[in-house]
Amino acid sequence: MELLIDNLAHGFSVALSLKNLSFALLGALIGTAIGVLPGIGPVATISLLLPITFGQEATTAIIMLAGIYYGAQYGGSTTAILLNLPGEVSSVVTTLEGYKMARNGRAGAALATAALGSFFAGSVATILVAASGPLLTQIALSFGPADYFSLMLLGLVIACVLAQGSILKAIGMVVVGVALGLVGTDVQTGQQRFTFGIPELSDGLGFAAIAMGMFGIAEIILNLERPEAREVLKTEVGKLWLTKDEFKRATPSVLRGTLLGSALGILPGGGASLAAFGAYMMERKMSRGRHMFGQGAIEGVAGPEAANNAAAQTSFIPLLTLGIPSNAVMALMVGALIIQGIQPGPRMVEAQPDLFWGLIASMWIGNVMLLVINLPMIGMWVKLLQVPYKYLYPAILVFCSIGVYSINNNVFDVYTTILFAVFGYMCSKLKMEPAPLLIGFVLGPMMEEHLRRAMLLSRGDWIVFLERPISATMLGIAAFALALMLLPNMRKSKDAAMAG
Amino acid sequence: MSKPTPRRAALSLAPVLALAGLATPALAQSWPSQPIRLVVPFAPGGTTDLIARLVATPLGESLGQPVVVENRPGAGATLGSLLVAHSPPDGHVLVLSSIASHAIAPALYSGVRYDALTDFTHVALLSLNPSVIVAHPRLGPTDMADLARRHREGARGLDMASSGAGSSNHLLIVRLGQLLGKELNHIPFRGAGPAMTAVIGGQVPLMSDSLPSAAAHIRQGSVRALATSGEMRHPAFPEVPTLREAGFDLVTSSWFGLSGPARLPAPVTERLSREVLAILARPELQARFAEFGGTPGTLDPVSFTQFVESELARWGPVVRESGAKPD
Amino acid sequence: MQLRINMKDVVSGLFLVLLALIGLWLNQDHSLGSARRMGPGYMPMLVFWIQVGLGTAVTLIGLFSGPDPLEKWTGLDAASLALGVAAGFITWAIATNLGPFFSQTYNGVGLGVLVGMLVVSWSAGWRKIGLICASMAVFALLLEKFGFFAALTGIILVASMAERTHTVRGVAGMLVFLLALCWWVFIYELDIRVNLWPQF
Repeated sequence: MELLIDNLAHGFSVALSLKNLSFALLGALIGTAIGVLPGIGPVATISLLLPITFGQEATTAIIMLAGIYYGAQYGGSTTAILLNLPGEVSSVVTTLEGYKMARNGRAGAALATAALGSFFAGSVATILVAASGPLLTQIALSFGPADYFSLMLLGLVIACVLAQGSILKAIGMVVVGVALGLVGTDVQTGQQRFTFGIPELSDGLGFAAIAMGMFGIAEIILNLERPEAREVLKTEVGKLWLTKDEFKRATPSVLRGTLLGSALGILPGGGASLAAFGAYMMERKMSRGRHMFGQGAIEGVAGPEAANNAAAQTSFIPLLTLGIPSNAVMALMVGALIIQGIQPGPRMVEAQPDLFWGLIASMWIGNVMLLVINLPMIGMWVKLLQVPYKYLYPAILVFCSIGVYSINNNVFDVYTTILFAVFGYMCSKLKMEPAPLLIGFVLGPMMEEHLRRAMLLSRGDWIVFLERPISATMLGIAAFALALMLLPNMRKSKDAAMAG
Repeated sequence: MSKPTPRRAALSLAPVLALAGLATPALAQSWPSQPIRLVVPFAPGGTTDLIARLVATPLGESLGQPVVVENRPGAGATLGSLLVAHSPPDGHVLVLSSIASHAIAPALYSGVRYDALTDFTHVALLSLNPSVIVAHPRLGPTDMADLARRHREGARGLDMASSGAGSSNHLLIVRLGQLLGKELNHIPFRGAGPAMTAVIGGQVPLMSDSLPSAAAHIRQGSVRALATSGEMRHPAFPEVPTLREAGFDLVTSSWFGLSGPARLPAPVTERLSREVLAILARPELQARFAEFGGTPGTLDPVSFTQFVESELARWGPVVRESGAKPD
Repeated sequence: MQLRINMKDVVSGLFLVLLALIGLWLNQDHSLGSARRMGPGYMPMLVFWIQVGLGTAVTLIGLFSGPDPLEKWTGLDAASLALGVAAGFITWAIATNLGPFFSQTYNGVGLGVLVGMLVVSWSAGWRKIGLICASMAVFALLLEKFGFFAALTGIILVASMAERTHTVRGVAGMLVFLLALCWWVFIYELDIRVNLWPQF
């Protein structure tokens, strides 16, 4: 313990140097900006900025890149809450309750909850990284392909809870999402699937195009059709800060979210993106405000935001302790370190104490900075909602269009967005929910990969999913959750049938 | 397999989808007039990515425009290569060509929509790397003889991971299986990183990886090196025997090069080749390559093109003989 | 009994089944492989069959869980939708013969989308969706050839037609402001690669 404090003190002495501090701030600012702008994500930004980091010291470079990474997590929730625009997978969940809160005039409270919850979760997760990184890595390594498949299946089942209406329809949307994820080149054989010979589709459909279309653009169309509904946005902005009651309701959600997020963030590949959905489901089933879900429950913002940020921090663990990146951003970090002549791995703690402890300290400092950047900006963001909608919607439309185009510099993505805007509009008219679809789209390809690998390893024996304890547990929970969700649904329709 | 079915014909909406590069080749004297995209058809963090980034930074400095690495993994490195084959030959889009995309894939996949020779201008050979067989230190075999014994005696045979179907590591697994007289159960991953994770975690006991990407893990002791695939033992790992020494007549090296779309203007090709060879000759770069087990290349555009030609001719029959199917 | 039909669920269910059947039909191109060595068609097969099952279940339950009718369509709604779709495809087919600008990139598709969406927006029920989608098509059509500013002007002008309360002065002010803002954010700060002015 004393050693840990010594080490952290050393880390702070590194991170608090003027240069490192200013680069942490720069990273946090860039991250917030790209998080707020639709389309441009942290992966693209970091790969663009990598060459700039080569001239810097390794510690400074990594501190800045890490700042961009979690800055983007903060920024992404801002647009999700204010404009129903999820910039990345984890903020899809934030749109559900956060946007509703904004429409109830509680945008300030939602943004404050997101910022405070993220800060708390980030702080806890940072300590966790410092204290028990290597131990946690061992747990992550014990996950095999079958376990990952079952974990993701559980994730998909959880995703159905996101739906406000019919569970069966939500599962249907998850499956449509998985099907959309099949478009593109099959990684294992190189065969083009469902691409109709269109070269742009060989990389698969773009997440941004689907998300922007089904959420952002479809929402604009619906808002324009219901002038009365959108006026809520500007008539009453409400108090900026959390009320005492809201604070009391959000606190336990943040705690639960932090725990879940820290645990899932360690798992390489997809763990972090599951954190927010898991937290949402947990809150919907467990929190005091569960009856308010769907109408803007603060727990539904607090839990997922905390989980998301905790996962963002703990996803550094496999990188720092094993040199194994857990997602695309981390992979770019490995690249940045290797260029600097540093091999991430177990020996990094001893070989590069400045880097290791400096990064951990700067994670926390970065979170403080994000809080400082974001809290005063809440007032400004909320004022944005007071802009009459007729001036706001062209701006959103323009930002989405440029953002989507700039991902691949290809107008194809703009047309894809139009297609999904129409699809999203249709789904909304049919009461089919877009959130489960997006989650299926993200998890589907990973599931296929793990499924095929698990079956190769088991020589075609499906029993492997039940033999492995982790996998069996996940499947058990998934089956239980599914049964829990389907039963009331069936009972209702049976009653209805009998009454009819 | 690729003969058109009526369904496909109905869907192929031919005129609209017949895309072509719009831009006309820029004048060579203004080159480079904007940042250069270096497409790396592999996931970030692997050997290719590493080599690309080691060369991209100094190359950007010498050319006066940043060289931006863009990872486009998938389909045995053919996706990123296809992208570059169809890009305008103005010298602002280059690809990290490799044994996977330019020697193996054309023979392995029926659906490769570029010609490894005529659709590219091959500029320079960057690096030659041997492969290495690594094992989980506790669960895996202790040496090649142990591997052979366990594989022959076990009812299920051994699993061996690779960075992906159609990689040179995959072919090595196929050839090794032939020499052992019993097929190894090949487990493809999406890149060397995830595959190495599975080996360290004990999910798969063995892996065939290129030496540069495995070097750090071998040094850390998180995996055990059983044999390398070079002509002779690698200077960075003198204690690891070659496959030939271990009784397997198998010598392969994977390679990485720098290529652009076909018909790159000659001045661009010459300048690129000159700068790249100068960078590869720098002592600090030589040191970095040696550290992780690669050998920097020295070929000029003409001899590199001949080299690619010979590799194509060499791997085609191996792929067909091996019966390796991308499944 | 008829009053209990949940039309939204029935239509959703049928839609799921339709999508899945199309998927299964397309999937015939891909080899299935075995459970041990799954081919590229194995996972799609599983997914689409599950989708067929779910769609059927949603449809059947929808027959009894209503009533929840669809929104009423006027005759004009139906007519303009049908005409719009037809106009879009015809324009697309013609546009590809109109020279390289339309035949070599997605501009032919874009023109089809634009014309189709404008025809669709003829009826009041489809005005918003038609004009918003048309405005994005204008953006995509203009961006690469006519530059950043022309494309932004196009999207903002068409999109503002979707809202009746806009005034000429308001739109003009918004246009200038957004052009300046987008230039500052995307060109000055982010430096995205796009032509600012028309290319001839």
